[in-house]
Amino acid sequence: MIAAPGQTVALVVFGASALGFGVAVFRTKSMVRSALALLGSMSAVGGLFLALETEFLGVLQLMMMATEMTIMAIFMVMFMMDPGGLGQMDMTHQKRAAVTAGVVGGLIAVALSALPSWAAVVVAAPAPSVQLHDLGIELMSRSMLIFETAGLAILVAMIVATTIALAEKQP
Amino acid sequence: MSGPLLLLTMISGVYLLAVLEEWSATGRLSLSTPVVRGLAQLSRESLVPRKPDRLLFELAPALLLLAALLAAAVLPLAPGLMAVDLATGALFVNAALAYVMVALVMAGWAPDAAYALIGGWRFLGQLIAYSMLIVMPLTAVAMRAQSLSTTDIAASQAVLWNVLTQPLGFVLFWLAAMALAFVPPFDLPVALGELAGGVFAEYTGVRLAILRLARLVLVLTLALAIVVFFLGGWLGALLPGWAWTGVKTLAVAALMLAAGRYVPRLSPDALLEWAWKLGIPLALVNIVWVGITLLAVSK
Amino acid sequence: MSPLVLALLVGAGLFGIGLYGALSQTNLVMIMMGIELMLGGALVNLVAFWRYLHPDVYSGQVFVLVVMTAMAVEMAVGFAVGIARFRARGSVEMEEAVDLKG
Repeated sequence: MIAAPGQTVALVVFGASALGFGVAVFRTKSMVRSALALLGSMSAVGGLFLALETEFLGVLQLMMMATEMTIMAIFMVMFMMDPGGLGQMDMTHQKRAAVTAGVVGGLIAVALSALPSWAAVVVAAPAPSVQLHDLGIELMSRSMLIFETAGLAILVAMIVATTIALAEKQP
Repeated sequence: MSGPLLLLTMISGVYLLAVLEEWSATGRLSLSTPVVRGLAQLSRESLVPRKPDRLLFELAPALLLLAALLAAAVLPLAPGLMAVDLATGALFVNAALAYVMVALVMAGWAPDAAYALIGGWRFLGQLIAYSMLIVMPLTAVAMRAQSLSTTDIAASQAVLWNVLTQPLGFVLFWLAAMALAFVPPFDLPVALGELAGGVFAEYTGVRLAILRLARLVLVLTLALAIVVFFLGGWLGALLPGWAWTGVKTLAVAALMLAAGRYVPRLSPDALLEWAWKLGIPLALVNIVWVGITLLAVSK
Repeated sequence: MSPLVLALLVGAGLFGIGLYGALSQTNLVMIMMGIELMLGGALVNLVAFWRYLHPDVYSGQVFVLVVMTAMAVEMAVGFAVGIARFRARGSVEMEEAVDLKG
């Protein structure tokens, strides 16, 4: 069975732009452009989620990634001596190993995607309002422990991050 | 509904808001002011800074306008009168408005100017302050409506508006909306006296016109969001639904623009302190309060 | 090619690019960008599997929420460590972070 052709087209468009922006992250010399290219990639992934009819996850991805990537941009500007990328300095190391690892890892992932014979592709997904309701019920009943653990992990991370980042008290 | 009709509604709303803003600023009520000022702005010289990040420089005004329009697209003017009816409308409003911050940070970074850069990063600090205060009242509102769809949220206020059942959430959402739209007293990114215009200072000509238009659209969109989520949307007697929405939205937007003239600007650390030490506990109290009242009412 | 395989290829591509980035960059923030790309690839795969193989079981979406939570938590703690390191040493270049002391 094949899904609606509009969905496949949207999938290809969003997927290609996610990959294109992902490549742009590491090709540009400007740090802020890297962070914003990553935002473009993650937004394309969010659009991909919307195309795959998981409306809640797509909207959540778009919302979270805007804030996260801009915070990455400000950290770049804080830490780097040349955030504009005008100095033409090469900020990479072990290039050959990295390219080999990336290509080999990518090829293994591609092989694992394309070679197995997946089950028949289901066509009907629930309506967005039904999905939202059922996801909420799932989170609150069966996956409650996971949900609470994630919430606790976020709280601990907030406390940890604030404590680490506080400047040491001057004597 | 039909796209051109909604676009026309947005344009007329922005026009009326510009007239109201001019009235509250100078005391002169004149219906031709936006056209005159807009044409004057478009005809001015368009300067580009010496070494900008050209791509981001051009992209920032367009992204600001796009973010505001996307947020307005999921808000209903009347039952069925909206651009896109998403099942997660309330969350999508929040997601679209997050890109306002991306646009302002781009606009701060791109011109390669000191004050613009500071303005942009200060808006990021402002986002840390208002971001929770936007989402938590929306959570309480969605609890009452038992749905994230904006139409359902507006329809759930048929008995009593949310401003009366969740007043704490209303106040917090209003203040956070003012901070999101960077209207005074939360206008850190475009502080006129402090940062010499901040983020908008390096833009001229057509791009500044787009930025100013985008800011008006943003204020109008946030006023519409306040009306839909807390003031009953299209509900009201005598007038048809869309008329009520228009009246309420313009009143809220005019109040948002006028209130800042009488309050001094908050410094960034004071804003963050008040938002996190006072605002977020109050937002949590609001959620608990709404939960208790909903359980009591359903008994 | 079924849409499932197309989505999985997108996830595989993001993973490969992220792996290259995480290994080749010297700056902490750029390494984290690579990690974010890898996690993004994993998210795409999860959503594709949910949509095309099991749209009635919501564990897939819960897994996506957990991965998003992990992304946010990792970024927060990572940047806090970066701030601490920057205060101690003046840079966050990983090439210089080879000593245990300090």
